[in-house]
Amino acid sequence: MSQNASSAILLAVSLGLGITAFDGAARADQALIRAVSESNVNQQYLVESVSISGVEVAHFRDSKLSPTLRHRLASLVGSPCDMTTIGDLARKLQASLHLEDVREHLSRGSSPDRVRVNFEVIHKDYAFDLSVPRFLYDSNQGWTTELAASGRVHQHSLSVGLGSNGDDLTERFTGFSTRYEDAHLFSDRIRFGIGIEGYHDLWNPATRRAIADQAASTNSGVAASNLFALYRTRRNIAPAVTFALTRELSVSFGASLERMEMEAPSPAGNDMSMSANAATVDVVYSYGAEGTEIQQRWDGRYSLRIATHDLGSDYEYSRHAVSLRYERRSGRTVVADRLTGGFIAGQAPVFERFVLGNSSTLEGWNRYAIDPLGGDRMVHNSLSYGYQFQQGTAEAFYDMGMIGNGDRMGTLRHSLGFGFRQGIFNVAMGFPVDHGRIAPVFTAGMNY
Amino acid sequence: MISRRSFLAISAALVAGVATCAFAIEYNERHLAVRLDGDVLHVSAPNFRFLSGKSLERLKDGASIAFIAQLTVSSSPNYVVPDAISVARFAVSYDIWQERFSVTKITSRTEDKRTVSHKDGPAAEAWCFENLAISRSDLPANKPFYLQLDLREEDPRDQTGVIGDTGISIARMVEIFSRPVRDKQAHWLLDSGPRPVTVEDLRKGMHW
Repeated sequence: MSQNASSAILLAVSLGLGITAFDGAARADQALIRAVSESNVNQQYLVESVSISGVEVAHFRDSKLSPTLRHRLASLVGSPCDMTTIGDLARKLQASLHLEDVREHLSRGSSPDRVRVNFEVIHKDYAFDLSVPRFLYDSNQGWTTELAASGRVHQHSLSVGLGSNGDDLTERFTGFSTRYEDAHLFSDRIRFGIGIEGYHDLWNPATRRAIADQAASTNSGVAASNLFALYRTRRNIAPAVTFALTRELSVSFGASLERMEMEAPSPAGNDMSMSANAATVDVVYSYGAEGTEIQQRWDGRYSLRIATHDLGSDYEYSRHAVSLRYERRSGRTVVADRLTGGFIAGQAPVFERFVLGNSSTLEGWNRYAIDPLGGDRMVHNSLSYGYQFQQGTAEAFYDMGMIGNGDRMGTLRHSLGFGFRQGIFNVAMGFPVDHGRIAPVFTAGMNY
Repeated sequence: MISRRSFLAISAALVAGVATCAFAIEYNERHLAVRLDGDVLHVSAPNFRFLSGKSLERLKDGASIAFIAQLTVSSSPNYVVPDAISVARFAVSYDIWQERFSVTKITSRTEDKRTVSHKDGPAAEAWCFENLAISRSDLPANKPFYLQLDLREEDPRDQTGVIGDTGISIARMVEIFSRPVRDKQAHWLLDSGPRPVTVEDLRKGMHW
């Protein structure tokens, strides 16, 4: 055996022994920490309820709190008060929610054998985060990526994002978005936010062909080009005030001052820019019910945008969008149903139009094959069944939806698929059901 | 009518009296009472409270807190190497319903683990001191010695490495005590006073 080989074996054995010894010490330390926690006199009591900053876990709203961690917190209820587990969950909460500190607090329950657990969260006065909130690949429609930097000083937060999105709208839009938010405007129940966005828009050849075809078929090129006026860039300023009416219900009132640089001058004159200024209303409802065996969650959202000439808008329309979601978890299984729908009355710019056939609707379908211009009315339902394997969830889903214009609703389309999700990462294979043909489409990425 | 001079004199006397009382209380709080119980040396600090302040707040929140205590015997007040040492680790918790403390002395051997519960604060503290003993055979037989107690709330960052496969690592504990106290880490230093102790003194009775 060569000297090098002997050295390599010796090094490997040494490393192995080192790792084993380190592992042994680490395990022993964990045992010591556990010994301190296990000596806690309160372990004789059962946990009656679990809350985060006084809010029951089922009702606590923070998008950074993962379903797995939420489930682990909720499952403390009914079990003996194990301070090791509670301390471990406090550290996980601190890491997940990017907090300064999380302190466990026990208090007396409703009977002398029960205690209540509250995780008191202490926010950092200053916080900075750099993240990739979206990273998605669709074998039909390419990449969608977003990079975001956010900072917070007390209740004031500012985020700046850069990205290219080929998933949400008819066009691919690339640019920046910034948002400032004051989470305490006179009260914790009132928030103020303002977003500023600037995008450069790229149009799919299928969209351009569809506009040309429509202009030719109607013998009214002006009407078609006016209805589907394409723009090179758009800028949006959107201030809004949000009122948290209850823990579950919030309402936002705001404005969206959108200005577009058009590809061609407007039919009315030589002005190369158009405005779509709208008043906005958003109603958000979220409710969770945590039982010992079954956890259910209801989420709803209604959005209204009204643009009128009085607001200085070149377009006059109203856009209504509704989203309802129900989720039921029982053991390792998760069943969810999401119903979305909406319609536009009046003449709206293309970015307001509804799209089906992306990473969240009719998965597997190419949206340019369904309707390259998008629709002014849409309804969609997605039913999914998931089974949890350790930290991940294997999912099967069935999407159905239709999109249309005016009085005409298009064909009802279906797609089936399966995927695997772990945290924010997911991979999926969608099979559009298209006259018996199977053309699977692969998507992968991460999505908050 | 009190003259200005008398007023100043009375004020000075009051200030001096208050300062003396404060010093006496501080002195008593920070000094150990030592006694020989058979062949074992025990210490106590009747007026000293370590289950107080932030530590007490956390205990009342239901947390377990570990305290490490190190009692050293040395022939000089500024020792480098102690003559004898006793180190103990206590896990304290507070019963939310009974409003009483529970203390466990954690040892490397599970069978040596000792626990008391339903104790009020002073009794729980006294139990900790009672379990921090030094055998008479470890004491310097023919020369006076000093005692010092270093007590600190354990920093979770110090838990790594304290226990190895062979049990609690004394070397690691000594290393912890050799290091300056971190910010916010509760820490107390008590001693047997400026006068050294002898075994003879202890045989005769309690030493302050």
